Amino acid sequence: MFDIMKKKWIFFGIAIVLCLISVVSLLFQGFNLDTDFSGGIALTYEVGSDFNTSDIEAIVSEALGANKSASSVQKSGSDVIIKVGYDKGLSDDERTEYSSTTKDAITTALASKYGNAVVDETAALESDVFTDTESAAAEPTEAVTDAAADTSADNAAAITADVADTTESAALESGVRLKSMDDISPSSGQELARSAFWMSLLACAAILVYITLRFEFTSGCVAIVALVHDVLLLLGVYSLFRWSVNINFIAAVLTVLGYSINNTIVIMDRIRENTRHSRKESYGEIANNSVWQTMTRSINTTVTTLLTIGMVYILGVASIKAFALPIIIGIVVGFYSSVFITGPLWATWKDSAVKAKKANTAAKKK
Amino acid sequence: MSRSLVKFAAIILVIAALLYVGLYGLDFTDKVRFPGVTDSDGITQGLDLKGGTVIVFKADAADPSEQDMETAMSMLRKRLDFQGYTEASVTVQGSNKIRVELPDVQDSDKAVETLGATAQLEFRDANGATIMTGDQVKEAKSEYGQTQQGMTKSQYYISMTFTDEGREKFSEATRTAASQSSSGMNYIEITMDGNTLTRPSVRQQIDSESCIIEGEFTAEEAKALAANISSGRLPFSLKTDEVKVVSATLGEEALNKAITAGIIGLILVMLFMLIMYRLLGLMADIALLFYVSVVLICISVFHVNLTLPGIAGIILAIGMAVDANVVIFERLREELKLGKTVRSAVDAGFNRALSAVIDSNVTTIISAAILWWLGIGTIKGFGLTLLMGVVISMFSAIFVTKFLLKQMIGMNVKAPWLYGLNKNKTGAESVKGGEA
Repeated sequence: MFDIMKKKWIFFGIAIVLCLISVVSLLFQGFNLDTDFSGGIALTYEVGSDFNTSDIEAIVSEALGANKSASSVQKSGSDVIIKVGYDKGLSDDERTEYSSTTKDAITTALASKYGNAVVDETAALESDVFTDTESAAAEPTEAVTDAAADTSADNAAAITADVADTTESAALESGVRLKSMDDISPSSGQELARSAFWMSLLACAAILVYITLRFEFTSGCVAIVALVHDVLLLLGVYSLFRWSVNINFIAAVLTVLGYSINNTIVIMDRIRENTRHSRKESYGEIANNSVWQTMTRSINTTVTTLLTIGMVYILGVASIKAFALPIIIGIVVGFYSSVFITGPLWATWKDSAVKAKKANTAAKKK
Repeated sequence: MSRSLVKFAAIILVIAALLYVGLYGLDFTDKVRFPGVTDSDGITQGLDLKGGTVIVFKADAADPSEQDMETAMSMLRKRLDFQGYTEASVTVQGSNKIRVELPDVQDSDKAVETLGATAQLEFRDANGATIMTGDQVKEAKSEYGQTQQGMTKSQYYISMTFTDEGREKFSEATRTAASQSSSGMNYIEITMDGNTLTRPSVRQQIDSESCIIEGEFTAEEAKALAANISSGRLPFSLKTDEVKVVSATLGEEALNKAITAGIIGLILVMLFMLIMYRLLGLMADIALLFYVSVVLICISVFHVNLTLPGIAGIILAIGMAVDANVVIFERLREELKLGKTVRSAVDAGFNRALSAVIDSNVTTIISAAILWWLGIGTIKGFGLTLLMGVVISMFSAIFVTKFLLKQMIGMNVKAPWLYGLNKNKTGAESVKGGEA
């Protein structure tokens, strides 16, 4: 086991460089905001046959017309997620109109290329038993007649209605079907961003207050430095790789805010205890011992948490993957900062405070 | 020893019972019924799991009063009830938004149209002047049948009952209209939000408390229209701010995958603990099962609206749940290495680790609480389950594990190897501090 204090500048250096890269990326590149924040339409279709995203991009551009194209087309297993932004300056009514026509246009275009949804009939029949006939949206006869009529506009209606009835839980054999739709106004996105900002600020403030109350001020500051490091790197990764940022990302950031500080606190707790019992050890020795004494624990806790959230990432559907990934990154980054930054930083801070005090008293003696 | 064995067996039985109740519920001769998560009514599934439509309406008014929002909300509720959306929920979001959740509904366009309509019903004369409004209609319902004698085809129509004031006005208006029959101006127009529904001609004065509106309605249209007339006019028009539709297929897929992830995650964590901490790990695993059962019971008892992020919160909390045990066990091992007896090492381990366990969990509790308190939509659910998970796990890690270990010691199970200590005490030298 090596002395963390001796290598502290390497650890600090790595952290500082990564933070700088994050800051630069955030300043110059910003975020790739999802429709949650920017407003727009997100459509998820299941495609029964093989497809590639460039084909779909072309189909969507053609369907939208007027030199417009989807802001993103993303493949996720057999699903494709298509996102279309709104033009600026649309009134609320124009926007509602636009979203409805856009949805139909894209659905029709995809259906003419890949065919209408054909599902496993037996499964559909079984599931029909559970379909609530009272719900006005499900109108099986309408869907059937519309499909038979075979005009393109009716195709769109049939597929949209399909989501409601025949396909309740039936497996898709071929064709396309709409799995989910999100339609968010730009003003709603701005509001969301604002509330996310206030939530994060409130969480930081509350955590700072708690740590300062429970620990001495230096520890509180060190913990906050680690926290800022974790969140900054997490934001930086998303900015740098242009991964899309949505509301779930905010929840993930707040979770990381609360959780990544766990390791730091356990180390600080050990430092607090060791300082109480120490006689001759320097701050550096105390920090080094405390970090190593808690090392197994830091690793094990990180592993167990990664085991569960990692499973969610591996097995989950697209939306939950997008939620699990930032938490995973946050946990890994949090491990680094807690173990390699907080201890040495605390000791360095304490030493310089002692030096300053000595210099001060020496000056007074003169 | 025997007493410890009894206690140990007792708690195992209690945990097994809790787990059973959590999964399958309780049912005492139908009087006391209490669903488990595997029961159909055990989990209140969020829309992202069971499929459905979420519509967020924004009031088209600069600064709507709280009372107006309440009125609008209760009207939307009425409209939903009338149309048979009994499972729908309506909540206020922020100061000027109303969130409507429609489980099992996928046709968002229709829902937006009928729910968001201002529903200003007007009776106008031939000159376009308003005779009366929907306020003077006592009741409206959709019916099916022949509206006129001699008609061969039945159709959907809306039958309305007027208030006394409405009856008077209608009578007055029909008298005026009938007198104009020579000029062809003898009709009354019935409009909804400016759109003409019907324009019947009037031949004589009608002094009746009821009237019908015909048009070429489908069953749904007639039902929706009647609902909107009955529930009255909204205090302001509503604009759609957000529409989300999730198909039942996607919801089911998401739920199944999340449950699989949870079970595999749980098994991996249990194996990890068993390998790393041996007997201690086994105790932690039993405590973890206690945690899982309590969480399951809480979900069905408090009708937690379970969303996909909510499930992720529960699974994440499984990983975090053992954290407290890891902290305590590491401490316990250190105490053993210092040469303490197993009994005093367990005591010291728990006592010394307590402050770290509490301090480290409080920060997660703070963030989770903020998400629950201020979060919107599915994020709220995540905050709640994470909060629940952390609090329950802290309890189970501290109290349940300790209780289990005490019984182990009581049964004289004291071999250091079982407590994760290898015979050659490597690393003991490097451990400094921590002595009392």
